[in-house]
Amino acid sequence: MSVFFYSTLVSLLALVALAAAAGLLIYRLVRGPEASNLLGVRAIWLAWLVALVATGGSLIYSEVVHFTPCRLCWYQRIAMYPMAIVLLVGAIRRDFQTKFYALPLALIGLGISIYHYLLQRFPNLEATSSCDPNNPCSLVLVDIFNFISIPFMAGSGFIVIAVLLGFYVNKNSIEQETRVQ
Amino acid sequence: MSTRTASSKKQESNKKSLIYWILGGVVGLGLVVWLAIAIAGEGAVDESIAFGEVTVEGDDLPFLETGAADPAVGLTAPTVTGETFDGEQLTIAPDGNAKIVVLLAHWCPHCQAEVPLVQSWVESGGLPEGVDLYGVTVLTNRVRDGRTWPPQDWLESEGWTSPTIKDDQQSSIVNAYGMTGTPTYVVLGPDNENLGRISGEIGLGGLETLAELAAGSLES
Repeated sequence: MSVFFYSTLVSLLALVALAAAAGLLIYRLVRGPEASNLLGVRAIWLAWLVALVATGGSLIYSEVVHFTPCRLCWYQRIAMYPMAIVLLVGAIRRDFQTKFYALPLALIGLGISIYHYLLQRFPNLEATSSCDPNNPCSLVLVDIFNFISIPFMAGSGFIVIAVLLGFYVNKNSIEQETRVQ
Repeated sequence: MSTRTASSKKQESNKKSLIYWILGGVVGLGLVVWLAIAIAGEGAVDESIAFGEVTVEGDDLPFLETGAADPAVGLTAPTVTGETFDGEQLTIAPDGNAKIVVLLAHWCPHCQAEVPLVQSWVESGGLPEGVDLYGVTVLTNRVRDGRTWPPQDWLESEGWTSPTIKDDQQSSIVNAYGMTGTPTYVVLGPDNENLGRISGEIGLGGLETLAELAAGSLES
């Protein structure tokens, strides 16, 4: 299997994840708080699966394809990798507080992904207009459909995890909220 | 009694659901491992075609620090001999002409932005009489950007016409000119005296300045 085929596969996954996140957000806007009933505890399990596949996918890039992660890639990894463990533990324990640990990681990771993506598209955002020979963050290692690069994939993962965690709500609190409204 | 039955049924269903999700995770991991094995099994590519044999005679210039003035102005740059894309030998040596040597990395977005500018400047006759422009492809790395690899294909697609040599895998030319970032321009006088080096995108205005510097060394 070629690296291009693998990247295309992962890119399609990222697009599906983004579409799903958009669909869930629209559903939430239309249905209000009771939209959270749609997934129930499945929300955190799905979020865990996304974190697990994102972690594995990123390890394939560094350990099998031999892409060297740049500084910003490492920051995104720092946000993504712990979620593969934290979300699993939270899902097994059915702990509704888990999102308070995982959501900050997802949002920080998303911020870094956005900056990294912009840096790839506009390299002059960096203070210097030359490439560091070691491993510049402006380097575009993967460019599928002319717009999907690795930070785009990571950002899609962070978005879908954040949205899924937003749907992971204790049923009792939804009922309370609906009653108040 | 019925409450206990309902509770144990719920527990059983929770257990089942947990097993299904864990199985889903195992399938996800299995998919990742399968992809890893499939990619690792792909045949290796001969990357040596993007490098050439290089000889350097003379002392290397000290490394150019980012943002600092060139500490090597006035020093004599070494004579560099390398291989062109056609496999011919080309020497950048004191030959009576002034020179602008531009070191380019195919994967570097700044080099990718600068190459068309340099080419259009050359085509518009920006290079003064007695000043030659040489290219050097450095730090070639297919993994970093397969689309622009090998660099000869990339430069050809940009219509690049200036004589260009390939650095070797030990980065001998990078060391010879003391390069620390790409693109790097080295301006040499007719006797190979280093008139100045600059790293980064310089645009048309910068190219004009370098050309004036090089041409000035011919007059003195």
